[in-house]
Amino acid sequence: MAHSNDHKHGNGHEHHITSQGKLASTFLFLAIMMAATIGAAKFMPEPFHSKTIPMNIIAIAIAFVKAWAVVAVFMGVRYTTKLVRLYAIGGFVWFFLLFIMMADYGTRQWEPVRGWENVDASSLPRDPKRVEGLEDAKSRHEMVSPGASTPGEDHAAEGGH
Amino acid sequence: MAGHGHSHAIDHDGPEVYLQFEDIDQQQESYVLGMWAFLVTEVMFFGALFFIYFLYRLKYQSDFHILSEHLNWKLGGVNTFVLLLSSFSMAMAVHFAQKNKKAWQLGALTVTLLCAFGFLVIKYFEYSEKISGGLVPNDQFKFHYHYAANADVARMFYSLYFVMTGLHGVHVIIGILCIGTLMGLIIKKHSLITDYIPTEMVGLYWHFVDLVWIFLYPLFYLIPK
Repeated sequence: MAHSNDHKHGNGHEHHITSQGKLASTFLFLAIMMAATIGAAKFMPEPFHSKTIPMNIIAIAIAFVKAWAVVAVFMGVRYTTKLVRLYAIGGFVWFFLLFIMMADYGTRQWEPVRGWENVDASSLPRDPKRVEGLEDAKSRHEMVSPGASTPGEDHAAEGGH
Repeated sequence: MAGHGHSHAIDHDGPEVYLQFEDIDQQQESYVLGMWAFLVTEVMFFGALFFIYFLYRLKYQSDFHILSEHLNWKLGGVNTFVLLLSSFSMAMAVHFAQKNKKAWQLGALTVTLLCAFGFLVIKYFEYSEKISGGLVPNDQFKFHYHYAANADVARMFYSLYFVMTGLHGVHVIIGILCIGTLMGLIIKKHSLITDYIPTEMVGLYWHFVDLVWIFLYPLFYLIPK
């Protein structure tokens, strides 16, 4: 039948209309969370500001809270059917499962794989010749360090030594 | 007549229920489900890029922090607020569509469109500053070592920055086209627009675009030490 005169609901579900007040309060919440993200990153007092792991956790936690608010209220997942919720949550579960690949990258230093040695990032060589596509290391040195008046200022030219 | 004794969010004329669906609820749920299936593919699309970002940031945290300090976090913050506002106005447009208030719906969609254009304008200023500063990671990459970060890491950082924010920008442009088309169809009272579902589907896409930026902004502009 092209037109349905039967108003029986599929699975007894009535479509929810999110109120304007709820939408406005969610927007206000998101704006506050955004300010909190910036505040935590730029205006945190010094003992905490230098602590990498807690700062990363705070930033990601705030981002996830904001994402939850957008997905649950603005996208209506909170009020939708279980099947739609399954798809929505399933997609983000997939994203987390993607990080299983870290098992590969995290264990490469267990074997001598070139380029994945467990070295401090600041001791990486800064030899310009290692950069692809640049044939003349000297011209690159001249190109990239116009502000360096002495060789000592340019760490890259010395190859990180 | 539709809606007797039920709080359906549908037009009085009611959308047509096609042969394969049991009732209007199932039909509407299938449309929303189809849109979510597409959004899951978008999660996969961006997810892979976020993974690459995560991998290199984990390895070069301090260099990424130094490089992120040279991005304009204030402009990025304005962009974030603009997109949040656009997401709110899009949600309001869906609300008005459900209440069958066409004028308010078009007003909300206009605000969304203006916010989207505002985002692109701000992005244009950011990109042109970087392009003129030689920070596009091609053979003209002018990386100044007094930034105290490794040049290869800088190339990786800016590659990720331009690819991820550029791809996001492309999605914003597509969103603008979708919203513009939707507004045109509503104004022309096109037969495709019989209820709130087209607006809801465009809204789902737009909220996803906002969601991606909610993660992009702190990951590129606000990297801790």
